[in-house]
Amino acid sequence: MKKALTLSIVALLAGSMQVASAAEKNYSLPLSKPGEPVSIEIEVYRGSITVVGYKGDTIEISAKTSTFSGKDKDLKKVKHKMNKNNSSRSTKGLKSVKSQSMRLEIEEKNNEVEIISEVSNQHVDLVIKVPQRSSVEVELYKGGDINIDGVNGGLELESYEGMIIAKNISGPIVAETVRTDIVVSFSAFAKTSPSSLTSHMGNVDITLAKKVAANVSVQTYQGEIFSGLDNDFVLVDEIKKSKKGQKQKIVLGGIMQAKVNGGGQELSLISYSGNLYIRKAK
Amino acid sequence: MTNQEIIDWKIASFANNDSSELSEEMKNHLKQNTQLQEELSFIEHFWTTDVKPVVMPSSKLDANFYQMLSRAQSAQQHSVQHETAQLALQQNGYGFSSQERPLSLLDKVKNWLTPTPIAQFSTLALVFVLGFNLNQSGSNRMDNSDYIGLQQEVSSLSTMLAMSMLQKDSASERLSGVAYSRQTDLSNPLLIEQLIELLARDKSTSVRLAVINSLSQLQSFGSSEQQLFTLATQEENLLVQIELCRLLLNYGSADIKNRLTEQANQQLLKPQVQEFIQAQLMAAYI
Repeated sequence: MKKALTLSIVALLAGSMQVASAAEKNYSLPLSKPGEPVSIEIEVYRGSITVVGYKGDTIEISAKTSTFSGKDKDLKKVKHKMNKNNSSRSTKGLKSVKSQSMRLEIEEKNNEVEIISEVSNQHVDLVIKVPQRSSVEVELYKGGDINIDGVNGGLELESYEGMIIAKNISGPIVAETVRTDIVVSFSAFAKTSPSSLTSHMGNVDITLAKKVAANVSVQTYQGEIFSGLDNDFVLVDEIKKSKKGQKQKIVLGGIMQAKVNGGGQELSLISYSGNLYIRKAK
Repeated sequence: MTNQEIIDWKIASFANNDSSELSEEMKNHLKQNTQLQEELSFIEHFWTTDVKPVVMPSSKLDANFYQMLSRAQSAQQHSVQHETAQLALQQNGYGFSSQERPLSLLDKVKNWLTPTPIAQFSTLALVFVLGFNLNQSGSNRMDNSDYIGLQQEVSSLSTMLAMSMLQKDSASERLSGVAYSRQTDLSNPLLIEQLIELLARDKSTSVRLAVINSLSQLQSFGSSEQQLFTLATQEENLLVQIELCRLLLNYGSADIKNRLTEQANQQLLKPQVQEFIQAQLMAAYI
């Protein structure tokens, strides 16, 4: 993967990258097994991703790509190396050809769909309509945000620079960001597997529909916790220690838990320096 | 040679992708025990069947299965608690509420059978485990050894589930695996090995933090302590590093605590981690 990215960067710098050009395409992807579960894996190096659940049974992909203008730290480093090792060529008498190519790989087999854009000099904005029951896995390295709306299947979302915003979902969801916020609104909450939202330095903000039953665990080290739940949060570490018969200790940033509607599957919210917000839908 | 030893051997061979055959002694034991044969084939079926969400007949089946197992474990724990209440009081000083009456076996079976027919598979699996243990005793009367046997079976089943789920591609399913590991007595060294492997390598911070939480249930870290210490000192993920330090400071040996404190004093760790360790040490003095 790293090697491929390096090669892409080198190729990018060798060519023209001064002017951004855009291309837009729409695809309708029929599923091999309509009506059956669908899993979608999206991996984008640079761009934004929006996934919307709908009642249809095809995958509708709208991709808008543009050439990245090359202000990335990584690119600068490579550019510097390139200048050292290669003398610039004369462009006298030549005209710049704007790149209009789009590099987006889409693959489907037995309802498993892969959508990949690993080209570092391409910014791609994806809007994908998927059957509501789909399980979705998204990895976005640079650029914008991940937006999810109305998807009922399992979600695994990872964004290194952008926010993660998911609404009208039921999970299970495992999401992670580094510096940016995670905002999730649950219309229901799946009992199958635990869910966990982790932002290293961003905030985590969730809204639970009235009927949602869950065990909500919260853990932040330097941030604050704001709760709109009826039940109080109880320190879980405290219970563990008394069970083991150990002496009581003050726990800094320990895990606290609150049962919502009698409790249910685990929902963990974790941040090092961000705040945690737990809201009840009106 | 006991049934449990053969079950453990089977689970271990699946976990290690070991295709070696049963020993003669095991084969002889197995020949005389049809229930054990069925149990082994159930384990084999469970382990070798691809249970990816995309090919699951229904996610509801999944949900019911886990719910049923959880209920069965809960019911079984209540029963064991009642049967061994006096022993527990003597040994641990734990209290037991007189209002908590254990369900009869019939009630438990009834409870398990109440959900929708879609849960038949999970119900049958659990009834089989129950029946297997009842038959082992040669008597219809449930005594303490039956409950202990049942506890071991359920622990084996949870261990098997945990080890299987920990290998899944989906982070949420791996989280389930970690949750199942908490329902075992964490006595299976392969499970501990697998958990520590995940702790060291999993790409999801959530999974790694859940593993650390699970490891805090261990009575002793034993030979894994040095490995945990190395992970704690070399970890790049701040959240994971802090939680590893918390784990070792709270449950590690005195030697490990001293070595970790030394690392903090010599400023060999991230400033935030040093700050955390100092705060933990201060809190311990209060």
